[in-house]
Amino acid sequence: MSIELVTYPELCHGCGNCVVTCPVNALRSPEVAGGKGPTDEVDLIMEVEDGSIELKRTELCGKCGACARSCPVSAIRLEKLEDAK
Amino acid sequence: MMETTETIDQDKNISVQRTGEETRKLAFKNVLCTSCGLCEKICPVTAIEVEPAGATLEEQEASKIDIKEDKCVLCGMCACICPYNALEMEIDGKSVKDIEEYPKLLKSAEISEDVCVYCKACETACPRDAIVIARDLPERSKLVTGEIEIDKETCIDCGICEELCPADAITMEHKEPTADSPTVSSDIEVDKDKCVYCLICKKACPVDAITAACRQCSYGEYDLKAEDSEITGSTFIDEDLCVDCGWCEEICPVDAAKVEKAFEGTITVDQEKCQGCETCVMICPCNALSFPKSEESGGKPEKLHAEEKYCIFCGACEKACPNEAITVERTGIKSTPIKSKSWKTAFESVKGTSK
Amino acid sequence: MTDQSVTNTHGVPMPKHIISGLKYLAAVELRKNNFTQKEIAEKLEMDRSTVSHYLNGRNISWHSIEIAEIIRNFCPRDFSTLTYALLQDKKKTRTIVKICSNKMFKCMVKNTCIGCGVCADACITEAIVLDDLEAQINSDWCCGCMICMEICPTKSIEIKEVEDDGDYRNY
Repeated sequence: MSIELVTYPELCHGCGNCVVTCPVNALRSPEVAGGKGPTDEVDLIMEVEDGSIELKRTELCGKCGACARSCPVSAIRLEKLEDAK
Repeated sequence: MMETTETIDQDKNISVQRTGEETRKLAFKNVLCTSCGLCEKICPVTAIEVEPAGATLEEQEASKIDIKEDKCVLCGMCACICPYNALEMEIDGKSVKDIEEYPKLLKSAEISEDVCVYCKACETACPRDAIVIARDLPERSKLVTGEIEIDKETCIDCGICEELCPADAITMEHKEPTADSPTVSSDIEVDKDKCVYCLICKKACPVDAITAACRQCSYGEYDLKAEDSEITGSTFIDEDLCVDCGWCEEICPVDAAKVEKAFEGTITVDQEKCQGCETCVMICPCNALSFPKSEESGGKPEKLHAEEKYCIFCGACEKACPNEAITVERTGIKSTPIKSKSWKTAFESVKGTSK
Repeated sequence: MTDQSVTNTHGVPMPKHIISGLKYLAAVELRKNNFTQKEIAEKLEMDRSTVSHYLNGRNISWHSIEIAEIIRNFCPRDFSTLTYALLQDKKKTRTIVKICSNKMFKCMVKNTCIGCGVCADACITEAIVLDDLEAQINSDWCCGCMICMEICPTKSIEIKEVEDDGDYRNY
């Protein structure tokens, strides 16, 4: 399967919608589920760092696409790697 | 000797073919696929990979499944298990659904025209838009009986009856008064095909210019024929689109629709694991999943409601859930008899759960 | 034997001459088993007069026969596949190979067979048919090339070489 999480940092506003919408992140951190960036050490699939989205534990990703749907600027997507960028 | 070839068209449909002693052709129709993963599960040579359902909710460049040309042997198992008719196999031009040796899933959806009242609830409810109900309504004028007459001498052209008429049956010819014709209307007519003899115009007329009576109210239905109020129509279920989910059977108010499902099973939701991403709800081809709203303010309903009545236990939701919050277990598969031991084993392997 | 059948300028037999050599060997084999010239002609799809010539050592070059002998003594895989490559016809391949070879095989299909038909398509002697989603192999027709065994995606085919029981089978 070659469909993977792909980010476009040049488009990202750092709003954090994806981080908070991600059901895997939400299950791991009630704080994130509630809409706040984690204060404790916790494994998230992606986090906002220095105002832009960074992919972290992508192997946890179940490819549901919730993050992509929540992003207002399509800065995070599920795409076949050959088609990306 | 023989070679397997694969082609993919612009609609992301896949065709795999091998010509030897026979010509075998496997056709995949992308639009019917729900990424449930049953084909991937049953394939004896692991030739099929199903793309994540959540990704295919968005338009993708690639097909929803990937069939490896160098692995596929065109055995036909995927075509026989697919509950969505997305995979079809032909041998020398004949569909395996018409070849006795190949197990055919026993599933059906039928509407009895003797019982159906053409209410169209099934058409509205069908999650695949597979049902078309056509109905001929009776003529309104044959369902009512009465008399009405406007005395044009007495009528003062006030237009109150025209405005009030709930059936839009009264029409006035409004006009500008002129010196030679100083009236505001040149004619008033009641369309007897539209009039329902409600008598509102008669009651409202300020000069009692209207005489009217409803015969039904006064004397009963003696001059109405029962057959004139019959509603006739026809029903059509598109077998290619129908997934035998059971919505039509459940929603039909007169039990005219009967559905037989191929898979028996259960679906359970771990409400704690579910984080409400909605992927499963969007993916479910049977509208069997929903996020219920709270009955009262401050109430806490279940996060995800899974209704077995509409579920065909395909497992698409289970596959799509990134938190493994859904468990689909198939306990039975109804099909025509399977003689081949390896095929029996393959069908058995699709039962149980993925966990 | 007259050496009149060398036709290309380099003096090397062409495929059709090698085929003639194989037919010669088959004719001789059938004659040993008391087939009449007419029966031999029918079986090998030849003119009866050609059969007569061959059996009397005419109209065929020793070189063609020599090459055919070498081919006949190849392992079953090479003998069969080369014969098929020459004849381009599965029934004819079966006829020649089964007459010229003294090897017999027992072919079994396990119940892991999924009826995909790849073996039937690959079989160069048309010894395999599908019935009720399972491959059926006619052991008498099997040439022992083992191609089906190798190509089977579920490894459901078993082929063993067995003793020739001496009875003449009908191909």
